[in-house]
Amino acid sequence: MDELKLIVQAPPHIRSPLTTKKIMFTVVLALIPAASAGVVFFGMRALLHMVLSIASAVITEFVLQRLLRKKVTISDGSAVLTGLLLGMNLPVTAPLWIGVVGSAFAISIVKHAFGGLGQNFMNPALAARAMLMAAWPSQMVQWVTPLDAIATATPLAIAKAGIPDTATLPLLWDMFIGFIGGSIGETSALALLVGGIYLIYKELIDYRIPLAYLGTVFILASVFGADGLNSGIFHLLAGGVMIGAIFMATDYVTSPSTASGRWIYGIGCGLITIMIRFWGSYPEGVSFSILLMNIVAPLIERFTVPRKFGEVKKK
Amino acid sequence: MQFVSILIAGILINNFIFVKFLGICPFLGVSQKVETAVGMGVAVTFVMTVASGVTWLIQHYILEQFGIPFMQTVAFILVVAALVQFVEMVIQKVSPTLYQALGVYLPLITTNCAVLGVTVLNIQADYNFFYAMVNGFASALGFLLAITLMAGVREKLAFSSIPKALQGFPMAFITAGLMAMAFYGFQGLFKDFLIL
Amino acid sequence: MNNKYLKTLTNGLVTENPLFRLVLGTCPALAVTSAVENGFWMGVMVTFVLTCSNVLISLLRKVIPAKIRIPCFIVIIATFVTIVDLVMEAYLPAMHKTLGIFIPLIVVNCIILARAESFASKNAVALSAVDGIGMGLGFMSALMIVATFREILGNGTFFGFHVMGEGFPVAKIMVQAPGAFLTLGLVLGAINLVANHKKAA
Repeated sequence: MDELKLIVQAPPHIRSPLTTKKIMFTVVLALIPAASAGVVFFGMRALLHMVLSIASAVITEFVLQRLLRKKVTISDGSAVLTGLLLGMNLPVTAPLWIGVVGSAFAISIVKHAFGGLGQNFMNPALAARAMLMAAWPSQMVQWVTPLDAIATATPLAIAKAGIPDTATLPLLWDMFIGFIGGSIGETSALALLVGGIYLIYKELIDYRIPLAYLGTVFILASVFGADGLNSGIFHLLAGGVMIGAIFMATDYVTSPSTASGRWIYGIGCGLITIMIRFWGSYPEGVSFSILLMNIVAPLIERFTVPRKFGEVKKK
Repeated sequence: MQFVSILIAGILINNFIFVKFLGICPFLGVSQKVETAVGMGVAVTFVMTVASGVTWLIQHYILEQFGIPFMQTVAFILVVAALVQFVEMVIQKVSPTLYQALGVYLPLITTNCAVLGVTVLNIQADYNFFYAMVNGFASALGFLLAITLMAGVREKLAFSSIPKALQGFPMAFITAGLMAMAFYGFQGLFKDFLIL
Repeated sequence: MNNKYLKTLTNGLVTENPLFRLVLGTCPALAVTSAVENGFWMGVMVTFVLTCSNVLISLLRKVIPAKIRIPCFIVIIATFVTIVDLVMEAYLPAMHKTLGIFIPLIVVNCIILARAESFASKNAVALSAVDGIGMGLGFMSALMIVATFREILGNGTFFGFHVMGEGFPVAKIMVQAPGAFLTLGLVLGAINLVANHKKAA
């Protein structure tokens, strides 16, 4: 009887060059166009906000991990990403300490209280933004126009206040480039799309979620909006839908991992965003809708589990 | 129209758990698994709906007729206690597994602030008999939604390495706090259409 | 003799603090802790009801049939709750309005029923009274501690008095629902941390 010659090797047997660090910093790279647009439009203060948010996130993580006697993982870039995303979600006029407080909250409570990287159930940057909006509402809504920094209202706020009048609403083209009031990183749909396409090309985000989210927003806005297809485009370019759909809703940790689950999740986000924008108290619904879908995600996952190999559906 | 308004308000806008703080004990105690959470939610829905109806009748035909409105607390809580006994017997017959799973939390529905709470709120809001029951039903659905969502999240968290001091109740409260924050989005929803 | 009473008192205040250690009475703990004054009055009312019901139940403990003891307890507790409700409405109508529905809800505050079942029905009157006072005051202090954080950070005041400077950016969320949950969660976590440390020590 031949003795089988077995070569024993320790797992893992399939290796990928993708590390957490690589993923995080690639996403940061994809955000650079939009972040730069923010600095161009809103000046050095915008840069300061982003730097402070990132610094606060990294320092909080360092201190916490030391205190909890865990391995310090600030070099994996996840804190940097959270800080950057939060910074980009602030209005440039906000007090400089707001990003610091927000980042600290995001990293300590939303991320590490739940166990750290990969274990949070809510997107930390978004949860922090929602917290900041609830805690300091007046400081979080002082918008200015790009370049000349005159106080203004966001396109969504204008639309919410009254019947959309094409004279007072910004041109769609301005909204595409980003020439409107809004938070530092959310105004330029163009810059965000560039980043998004790069991430899809690098296979770091699943196209399903942004497609479902943006698609739902476009369709619902066109149907229920006052201006048909123009309303559809308006709502795609207004507010935080672009940055939300591309960079926040796609967070692997807080979205379902099944393909059909992702479609449902994206559609749900779009649905709630439009619901709040059209019929709720707030002019913008992106943050809330993604957070609400974060909560529902585990249930979606449960109910879209694919059949196990060989399993036959019970009749 | 008022029917739909009460439904939406009860489930999303004035959610008993995330906005009114009623029903927290079972919300925290029975939300570790989705199936049990749903079971508790359904039981509570039944109790709240029926209790809303019965207490309304007692308030208007007994307490007010005899001029003893101050007996409300005593009368209402006795109604709730009796109802819960009844529901306990039914569940024991119909689904012994659910009965086992809910354990001590089933008789504790009596002390669930949400049940007594909604019966008192119905009277304060001056609803008629039908809307009192609708409100009881809607508020219970809000509770059911909250407890189911919480169970979904907690099942996911079961594998997390939460810091020791936060394990258990602290984490449950923090989670609920983040969920309450998300529910803010529903404030003012449909307010131009809602008649309450 | 004295030792037994002291032990029971500190049990309710610290060792088995109803809110912080037994995690009972969470509904009012979230609702009335947006201001220290609210926490104070709720604590007073709960202490009154708890002590009175403990005393009465202890007095009647040999008389109440075991099979229907829970409904009997509930009626006794409900009676005292009705009393405080009416007294509050008469003498402190503003606070009565603020605390609103949570006053009648004292009857379903798990603390009271739990102490009736586990202590008052099994112990002498004097000791039961002390237990009621201890647990009640423990609950009151716990409420006021949580409320301190929420009121100072969320309103800049303590018991209605301004304690933070003019420029202090109050975090509105603290006096709202999410703040209630988060504060209670973090305070519980902190207490756990201290308790774990003590155990390890």
